[in-house]
Amino acid sequence: MTDELANRIVQGLKDAGINFVTYLPETRLSQILPLIRDDPEMELIAAASEQEAVTIAAGATLGGKQAAVYMENTGIYVSSYSLLAVGKQLGVPILLVIGFLGGIADQRNSFLYATIGNHTIPILQGLGIEHMLLEDGDRLEIKIKDAVRGMNALRAPFALLFAGEFSL
Amino acid sequence: MIRYQCLELLAANITDQLLVTSQSGQRIEWSHLSKHEGNLLVGMMGCAIGVGMGLALALPHRKVIVLDSDGSVLLSLFNLATLGNLQPKNLMVYVFDNGVYSGSRISYATATAGNTDLEAMAKGAGIKSARTIRDIEDFKKHGIDALAESELAFFVCKVEESLMHREIPRPNTDLAENKYTFVRYLERTEKKTIPFIGRG
Repeated sequence: MTDELANRIVQGLKDAGINFVTYLPETRLSQILPLIRDDPEMELIAAASEQEAVTIAAGATLGGKQAAVYMENTGIYVSSYSLLAVGKQLGVPILLVIGFLGGIADQRNSFLYATIGNHTIPILQGLGIEHMLLEDGDRLEIKIKDAVRGMNALRAPFALLFAGEFSL
Repeated sequence: MIRYQCLELLAANITDQLLVTSQSGQRIEWSHLSKHEGNLLVGMMGCAIGVGMGLALALPHRKVIVLDSDGSVLLSLFNLATLGNLQPKNLMVYVFDNGVYSGSRISYATATAGNTDLEAMAKGAGIKSARTIRDIEDFKKHGIDALAESELAFFVCKVEESLMHREIPRPNTDLAENKYTFVRYLERTEKKTIPFIGRG
């Protein structure tokens, strides 16, 4: 991913009101982490599991933050329990910023990732979590704002899946 | 030591703290003892400590209390490592450890009935203040007195298995209803709007 795209993701998150991010790092979008860490208007919290990252973000949302979880798509499998238990059952909006490994548009796809990628969208659909696939920077900031508005309206997690140019 | 006795003592000391309860018998007992609007009922196991951490980080001036169980903590051991590193000074965790999966109605043992020591695990994860409480006098001395302190507290409260939660009325508050009561309480006491609520 170019530095420009990384900067636009983080600025887009800020402009959409996101001010609290929990995470487990991955490979595709990791350039956003130092940008978030160094931004005094954003709080960055390392979690030990995506399941935990979702619950911490949920607590922060209930406490008045606008929270996102940054993770690899494998984290959807790990966190599906807390996405349902807290995100859906309790009805807490959380933006899921996901490096989408193994999808058709993943420019670094291989046998290592393809199975994980192949099941990601069906898993999100099974959980009843809305998602948007982003493959380039076209209208990036607007799409992030749409996702945040959508999650707040739905009172539920919303997934942004980053692939294509974001996976280079 | 009986969990209900501990909760009675705790309930008498609640003012404006925020409480997050995990799914177990203590959720039913706490709902019976406390009608505090700052109670947040999380309806599944293994999520309460994470939610409590998020609240504590979002509201660092506010005391947050998590009521949890041994079975629930064993489901989410990663919380210990994160707590041990973040050390939120406004968070207290009470783990009511009865050594059994009591809700299963067959009361099979949890790992803490065997060789597993949650206090030692918490200390190993960096929660140096972790303490095991074994009787009600110690609960008063340490568990209640710590409410006035400003440091991360992690109490493993060794309790007998009690079926009290099956004898008292179960709460009929829907989880979403409880969430909105909690959020409105926060808005009123924090004098701010919780952003996700938005406008209709």
